[in-house]
Amino acid sequence: MSLRFTTYGARPLTRRSPTAITATRTGRGLSVFTSIRRSAWLALVGGAGAALVLGLSACGSSGGSISGSSGTGAPPGVLTPVSESLTGGVRGGTLTVLDHQDFEHLDPGQAYSSVDYEAVYATQRPLYSYEPNTFAAPTPDLASAPPQISSDRKTVTVHIRSGVRFSPPVNREVTSADVAYAIERGANANVANPYFATYFGSLEGAEQAEKAGNGGAIAGIATPDSRTIVFHLTEPKAQILASALVLPLSAPVPAEFARKYDAHKPTEYGSYLVATGPYMFKSSGAGRVLGVGYEPGKSATLVRNPNWSAATDHRPAYLNQVNIQIGGDPNVIGRQVLEGSHLLQNDTPAQAIVQLAYEQHRSQLEISPGAGTNYIAVNNHKGPFANVNARKAFWAALDRVAMNKARGGELVTNVMTHFIYPEIPGFEQAGGLAGPKVDYNEHPQGDAQVAEKYLRLAGYPSGKYTGGATLQVVGATGSPEAPDAEIVDQTLKNLGFKTKFSLVDKSVMYSKFCGTPAEEIDVCPNVGWAADFGDPQGVLDVTFNGKHIEPTGNNNWGQVNDPAINGMMQAAEPLVGAPARAGAWAAIDRELVAQAAAIPFAFDKEPNIEARDVAGVGDVWNIGSWDYSYTSLK
Amino acid sequence: MSVGAAELLPGAGGRLDLPDLTGSGALATRSLSPLALFWRRFRRDRVALVALGFIALLIVVAIAAPLVISLLGLPGPSVQNPNLTNAFGSPLGPSSAHPFGVDPLGQDVAARVIYGARVSLIVGVVGTGIATVLGTIVGLLAGYYRGWTDTLLSRMVDVVLAIPVLLLGLGLGAACEVRGCLGGHVQSGLGVIIFLIALVNWTYIARIVRGLTLSLREQEFVLAARSQGASNARIMGREILPNLLAPIVVYASLLIPQNILLEAALSYLGVGVRPPTASWGQMLAAATPIFNTAWWYMAFPGIALLLTVLAFNLLGDGLQDALNPRLAR
Repeated sequence: MSLRFTTYGARPLTRRSPTAITATRTGRGLSVFTSIRRSAWLALVGGAGAALVLGLSACGSSGGSISGSSGTGAPPGVLTPVSESLTGGVRGGTLTVLDHQDFEHLDPGQAYSSVDYEAVYATQRPLYSYEPNTFAAPTPDLASAPPQISSDRKTVTVHIRSGVRFSPPVNREVTSADVAYAIERGANANVANPYFATYFGSLEGAEQAEKAGNGGAIAGIATPDSRTIVFHLTEPKAQILASALVLPLSAPVPAEFARKYDAHKPTEYGSYLVATGPYMFKSSGAGRVLGVGYEPGKSATLVRNPNWSAATDHRPAYLNQVNIQIGGDPNVIGRQVLEGSHLLQNDTPAQAIVQLAYEQHRSQLEISPGAGTNYIAVNNHKGPFANVNARKAFWAALDRVAMNKARGGELVTNVMTHFIYPEIPGFEQAGGLAGPKVDYNEHPQGDAQVAEKYLRLAGYPSGKYTGGATLQVVGATGSPEAPDAEIVDQTLKNLGFKTKFSLVDKSVMYSKFCGTPAEEIDVCPNVGWAADFGDPQGVLDVTFNGKHIEPTGNNNWGQVNDPAINGMMQAAEPLVGAPARAGAWAAIDRELVAQAAAIPFAFDKEPNIEARDVAGVGDVWNIGSWDYSYTSLK
Repeated sequence: MSVGAAELLPGAGGRLDLPDLTGSGALATRSLSPLALFWRRFRRDRVALVALGFIALLIVVAIAAPLVISLLGLPGPSVQNPNLTNAFGSPLGPSSAHPFGVDPLGQDVAARVIYGARVSLIVGVVGTGIATVLGTIVGLLAGYYRGWTDTLLSRMVDVVLAIPVLLLGLGLGAACEVRGCLGGHVQSGLGVIIFLIALVNWTYIARIVRGLTLSLREQEFVLAARSQGASNARIMGREILPNLLAPIVVYASLLIPQNILLEAALSYLGVGVRPPTASWGQMLAAATPIFNTAWWYMAFPGIALLLTVLAFNLLGDGLQDALNPRLAR
C-alpha cells in the first residue's frame, strides 16, 4: 500500500518547501577582484564595514520564547484548523495567494502534491473529502452516503448525488460512469496516476488494465445505474480502497470531453479541465485552461463554477475569485503577506518569518497539526544496526529536541515518540505524544547512559561501538534537513561509530540512495512520511512492511522485514471500522517501537500565514495547507 | 635596455648596478641582490606590508587553530549545543562566551571561522600551486618550442578555458558525492575543489608564461647559452625559467584570492567541503535564510573572507610593484 507522502523519490517533493537559497555566484565573475586597484579595495572595505553597521542596527534577535504549551496544536493566540469556525465567513472578494513554487499537475488523475491539492480540491469533487478540521472522518462529497462494504471485504458500493454538474463547456450532470472513467484512466499509461496500483490494484481486471495501459474499462468497476458505482476486488481490501476514494482520482471526468486529450502521451486533459467543485480554472469557451487560467511559472486564476450548486456541497465557497501568483522568494513573500492585504502565503514560511509572525503578528499565524513524520531510517538488514540493541542505543542517544529546534522548535514540531502521527486514528492508542514507556524513548534530549546500556547489550562491553565499521550516512541538503543530518552524524560519532557523511539533493537521496537497497546505506537521517488519508495503515504499511521492499523506489527505507510485524499487518489490513483498525495498527506501532525499527524525531506541524484582513482556513489533512473553499476575507 | 623584473633576478647575471628607482636623485643603488632590492621596494609599501602581516597571522592561526581556540576558551568547531538556540531554533548572538555568536546547531561561529581559514588557505595555496606548476610547464614548452607544440598546447588552453567551471563543479560535486568518482578515487569535497581550481587556473599562467617565453627565447643570454651547447632543457630550466619567476609570483599571488572565492562559491552552492568541516562559503550559505534573525552567522565568516581576499590582493599589488617597477604607480 502506498500513500501520498511528502518527501520521497517516487513521488517528487510535495511538501510546500521552506526558503530555498537563491543567491548564486559565478567563478568567472570572481576574477574581477584581481583587477581592482588598491583604492577600490579600501572603498570596498569601508563599504562592507558600513553595511555591517547598518546590518547590525537593522537586525537582531529578540524574544525567542513561546508562551504556553501547544501540545499537538497551537499555543495561545495562534490559530489552528482544529478549532476554527467553518461557517460565518463573508461572501465575495478576491484573494491573492503568493507561492514561490508552481503546480506539478492540475489533472485530478495526476495531481499528487499538497500545492496541487489546494487547487484540485477547490475545483473537483471526489467521492469523499475531508472538512478542514479532520483527518479521521471523511465526508461524502460527490457520494451521497458512506461507502457500503460487503461482508467478505471484496465489494464496495457507492451511491452518488444528483444535481452535481460539470462546468462549461460540458455542463451536463455527473453520472457514475464519469467516476468509472476517472478511475479507469488512472491505469492509462498516458495519465500515469501515481497511486492507482497501490489502492486500486486489487480491482478485478486492474492488472490487465495497467498492462494494456490504454485507459480501457476495468472489469471490477460496475455502474448498474447512473447513481451507483460498485467496485469488485480480488482480495479482501475493501477498506483501503474505500479510504482511497478521498483521493482526486475518484473525481469525475467526462469521457466525451477528456478522451481525446487522454490519447496524447502524456495526457493533455490538464490543459483542458472541467470542474465539479465550487471553483474552476478560468478557461476559454472550449475549456482550455492553459494560457487562460493557468500560466505555468506565473499565475493561476480560480473563478466560480457557474454550474456548482451549494445545496449539494459541504464547502461554503465564500470567495469569488482566487488569484495565485507563482514565483518570488518565500522570505519576501512572508513579509509581503504579514504587512499586506487580502493575501495568503502558500509556501511553508521560513523559520525567521514564523518567528516574526509569532512575535509580532500572532493573529495572522495558523499552525496545523498532523503534517507528517520525520525519522531516521537505519538499515535493519545489514551492518551494525541489524542489531536491535544498537538501534535502541542510537534512539536513546539522539537529542530529538535539538533535531526539532533545527526545524523551528516546538511551535512547528512535537518530539516524535512513535510512528502514527497526530490526527491519524491510532495515535492515542499507540502512546499519544509521550509515546510508549521504554527507557530509550523517555529522554528526548538524549541519554548517554541508556545508550551505553544498549550498546553493551549489543555486544560492545565498553558502551561504545568498537566494531570498526564505517557507517554510510546520506542526508539531504538544505534547511532543516542538513542541520538535522549533522546532529545525527555527531550522535553516531559520540556512540563510537565512524561515519562517511554525505548530503545530496533530497530527490536524489530518496531515489538513488535511501530508496535503493542495493546501495546499502546505513543511515538516512532525513526521511519522512505523510499519509494519503486518515488511516493508520497508510502510515505504517509501505514504510515498515517487509513485503513492500523494492529494488528501486523503495519506501521501506530501513528494509524492515520482521516476520512478526509483517504478520500483524497482514491481520490488520482487512479490518473494517475506525476503532478496530486504530487498535490493530496502534499495536503494530508499539511493536515497531519495541524493535526500534527506525529512529523517530519530529511530528511535523504546518505553519501558515495570512494578511490581517483574511480569514484563512487551513486543513488538518493535506499536510496542513490552506483550503480555498473555506477561506474568506474579513 | 630597460630594467625590468626579468633582469632583477638571478639567472640574468647576479648582482647588478642599477639606477636609482626611488626618484630621490641619489646615486644608483649598488651591490644589492635582487632579493634585497625587491625587499627594499616592498617594505616601502605600507599597505602591502599590513596585508602580508595579516596573511602571516592568518596562516599561524590556521595552523595553530586548536591551540588558538583553547587559548580563547572557545569550544571546538563541531561541538553542538542546542541550549544556545532559542525556542524557535534561532541561534544566540555574540556574548562573552561566544564572541561571534553561535550557529543553528549551537556551534561556536568564532571557532568555525578560525577553522574555516584552514580550508580557504589550503584551497588557495595548494590549488594555486598546482595550477602554477602546470601552467608554467605548459607555457614554457609552448613558448620555447613554438610550431606544432605551441599550436597543440595553445588549443588545449583554449579548450580548457571554454569549460564552464562552476557548472563542472556542480556536476562533479553531485556525481562524486557519496560513492565518489573513478571507482571512489575522487571524492567530493576539498579534493574536487582543488582539482577544479588547478584545472581552470593553469591556463591563465600558461598564456602569460608562453608569451614571456616567446620573448625571452630570443634574448642574447639565451642565444649565448645555446651557442655554448646548452640543451633545451637546460636553457628552459636555468636561463628562461628564472626570468619568469617574478611575473609568475605576482600572478600566483593574485590567483590565490580568486581561488579562495571559488571555494567559497562552490561551498555556498553545496558542492564544497562537507559538514562538519567548517568552510566560510558553507557558513555563508547556511546563514543566508536566517540573516534577519542571526546576522552574526553571515557577518563574521563574510568579514573573514573579505579581509583574506583583500589581503591577498593587496599583497599581490605590492609584489607587482616591487618586482616590476615599470608598472609602479
